Amino acid sequence: MKKFIKAFIFILIFFILLYLVIKTLWLEETPISKFYDEPENSLDVIYIGSSNVYTHFNSTLAYNLYGYTTGILSNDTQNFLVAKYLIKEAQKYQKPSLYVIDIAKLADNFDDFTEADFRKTFDSMKFSKNRIEAINEILSYKKDATKRDYINYYFSFFKYHNRMKDFPTSNITGVKNLYKGYLLENRNIVTTKQKVFYWTDQISNLQEQNKQVLENLIKYIKEENLNVLFVVPKRYFEKDINERLNDAIQIIKENNLKVMNLNNIEDYNVIDYKTDFYNKWHLNVYGSTKNTMLFGKYLKENYNLPNHKGDIAYKSWDEEYERFKEDYKKYTENDFEEKIDTYKELMEDYL
Amino acid sequence: MNLTSLVFALFCIITICIYFIVPKKIQWVILLISSLVFLLYDGSLPLNIIKFLLILVPTYFCGLLIEKNKENKKAKIYLTIGIMLIVGQLFYFKYANFFINTINLFLEKFNSENLINNIETNSLIGISYFSLIMISYLVDIYNGICKPQKNPFKCALFMTYFPILTSGPFIRYKDVEEDLYGKHKFDLNRLCNGLMRILWGLFKILVISERCGMFVDTVYGNLDKYFGTFIIVAAGLFTLQLYTNFSGSIDIIMGISEIFGIKLPENFTAPFFSRTITEFWRNWHITLGAWLRDYIFYPVLKSDSMQKFSADLKKRFSKKAVKKITLYVSMLVMWIIIGIWHGGNYTFIIGSGLLQFIFMVLEDLLEPLSNKINKKLGINKETFSYRLYQRIRTFILFSFSMIFFRAKTVEEALTIIFNILVWNPWVLLDNNTLFTAGLDIYEFRVLIISIVILFVVDKLSRTGSVREKLSKQNIVFRWTVTYLLIFGIIIFGCYGSGYNPAEFIYRQF
Repeated sequence: MKKFIKAFIFILIFFILLYLVIKTLWLEETPISKFYDEPENSLDVIYIGSSNVYTHFNSTLAYNLYGYTTGILSNDTQNFLVAKYLIKEAQKYQKPSLYVIDIAKLADNFDDFTEADFRKTFDSMKFSKNRIEAINEILSYKKDATKRDYINYYFSFFKYHNRMKDFPTSNITGVKNLYKGYLLENRNIVTTKQKVFYWTDQISNLQEQNKQVLENLIKYIKEENLNVLFVVPKRYFEKDINERLNDAIQIIKENNLKVMNLNNIEDYNVIDYKTDFYNKWHLNVYGSTKNTMLFGKYLKENYNLPNHKGDIAYKSWDEEYERFKEDYKKYTENDFEEKIDTYKELMEDYL
Repeated sequence: MNLTSLVFALFCIITICIYFIVPKKIQWVILLISSLVFLLYDGSLPLNIIKFLLILVPTYFCGLLIEKNKENKKAKIYLTIGIMLIVGQLFYFKYANFFINTINLFLEKFNSENLINNIETNSLIGISYFSLIMISYLVDIYNGICKPQKNPFKCALFMTYFPILTSGPFIRYKDVEEDLYGKHKFDLNRLCNGLMRILWGLFKILVISERCGMFVDTVYGNLDKYFGTFIIVAAGLFTLQLYTNFSGSIDIIMGISEIFGIKLPENFTAPFFSRTITEFWRNWHITLGAWLRDYIFYPVLKSDSMQKFSADLKKRFSKKAVKKITLYVSMLVMWIIIGIWHGGNYTFIIGSGLLQFIFMVLEDLLEPLSNKINKKLGINKETFSYRLYQRIRTFILFSFSMIFFRAKTVEEALTIIFNILVWNPWVLLDNNTLFTAGLDIYEFRVLIISIVILFVVDKLSRTGSVREKLSKQNIVFRWTVTYLLIFGIIIFGCYGSGYNPAEFIYRQF
């Protein structure tokens, strides 16, 4: 008996140590991992997409200006294929009034996807049947996927166990400049002096697999009777991607779902390619502030979203906004509220 | 099934659970079923069953017939038939193409256009192991060392006991009979000891061997890019990769068997502390050496033809010289067979056969001269520094021979040896250069610390079981060491995404 008690204690200590090791070596915080921190049924909007979401839409600012809360389910280069599974994941914890789905990645070459397009998203998701189904679907498109690939995706620790070499850099301790999923980026590294974004209305066909993915998602949305708004973000698009996105827009419209192309709306021209972009594809904090003010207002006015300002249950949103403002000042040496006032004046025709 | 894979771990856990749940008298049946599942897991099932029966059935019946005809000449005939059938299959499945290619080389030399096509052969996993095991089974029955197993299913278990199928060790029927078919109670101490040994094996493979492999594969895979010091480091690391991979697998196998209550013979006893190549081979792949000594070397040495050859030589040479010559000839036969057994390729015959033979003969021939020089110079052979020199020399010689073992062709091995001559020792001093070949500075640090741990444990093992020594320590120390080992593997092991673990190196044999 004594031996078995000893064995039990040994195993118990092992699991405690294992938990500490996994927690230490785990992937840094991502907008999706932060999503799970939100109390159940506390989010009004769920915004899904690639890096264009967490760099373009400042959820703390939208809350401060319009009072509704937005959960960001995005990661860099996140493939459009996972949108359906992220909606399913969100449905487990939240009952949002609206799902906003960024379709920028829908027109990418389907066969070009790599581990990077999914890895962070899967690793940020909690272990569940939904996550396994998502992994299974993605790997079913990969002809050379082996059993090892499946196991490596199912159990993320297989990927991250050797991150000791990253110590003691900040990489391992997490991304600190995430504010309710929004990433603060104040730099501008656009090198071209030309106008970086334009839009053509020419259409070319979506790739068959991408079309299938979109149709599956639409089918799911209809089955679940979800309120969804598809969005093409304000940014630079390669011509072929632009043309294929026009096809996607047409398919969405044909299915009687709403889609907004921010590149075709005059209001959004206030976003200046010289100052408001981090690079050709992403807005910096100035651009995202303008974008959030405009797009956030549109959502508020068109989707009857509630105002939680002053509600003690939503205190964390106020705190995160304050933290964001402090960090903004630290990075830019300017006051954010003053910036907001300037933008309000600049955009008074649209706001 | 790879020994370090999750599938194998799961397979073992299920087998162990069932093994201790079922009535003790049918425990061996569980081992047999598991072994057959393991054996037939890869490839075409019906074809694998036929291949398996083709070895089992003749061996089983030959064993019974040898015993039945022990008193008359027929026993030798049945023994010969049994061995021929086993060797014939081993030859067909493993070495047919090697001999076809050799014949083709000669045909090409004589400008013949009628070259022989290679045969498509997919051998059963572990065929090289269980073929030799079954030969020893028949010979031991013939020599009266053991009785044949009358139950064909029990005989099948002896042939296919799954832990040893991938890498040995070579077992002998009389040594394992009792354990293999015996009744075993669950024992927590045995489980802990077995798990500890498995952990040590995993540490060797996942932390050291796989890491060495990353450097070795980079250098040997880019011979137009890496020269001199890179190759010297790669050659040394390949030796360590091979050792940790092979002995680590043996540790896992021994650990699993220990949990079952089956004691297997040791296959390694700290070989890199050997002072000569001869001593090295007494500590490296011990069971193969013992098998070849008992079933090839001594039979060849004592054979009628060797006696006749010896008698002829005695007319021309001194008794001492004749003794040496017959000894060397027998050794040569044994080492060529070792080389062939390692694979149908001249690189194996040279690397793990002929070169080892040459080193041993030279050691033997030069020993008197070396003793004379040492005596004249007043060198004490029993000092630490001299022993260290001898161990380093042994390591270098073995690593050199392993260049052939690792190379795909003899030409490639010669290119590698030629490339060693490029003088660029500064890559060791320049912080960045060495770390461009598959292992960065972090990985190198982990590797060096792990190798130091390996050598410390090997050193300790020379004076008795390390696990026994550890068990005498207090619980805090014991548990700390165990946790360090477990988390050392979890954190520093080369597994999962980002690593491409090599198959078990010895598996191909």
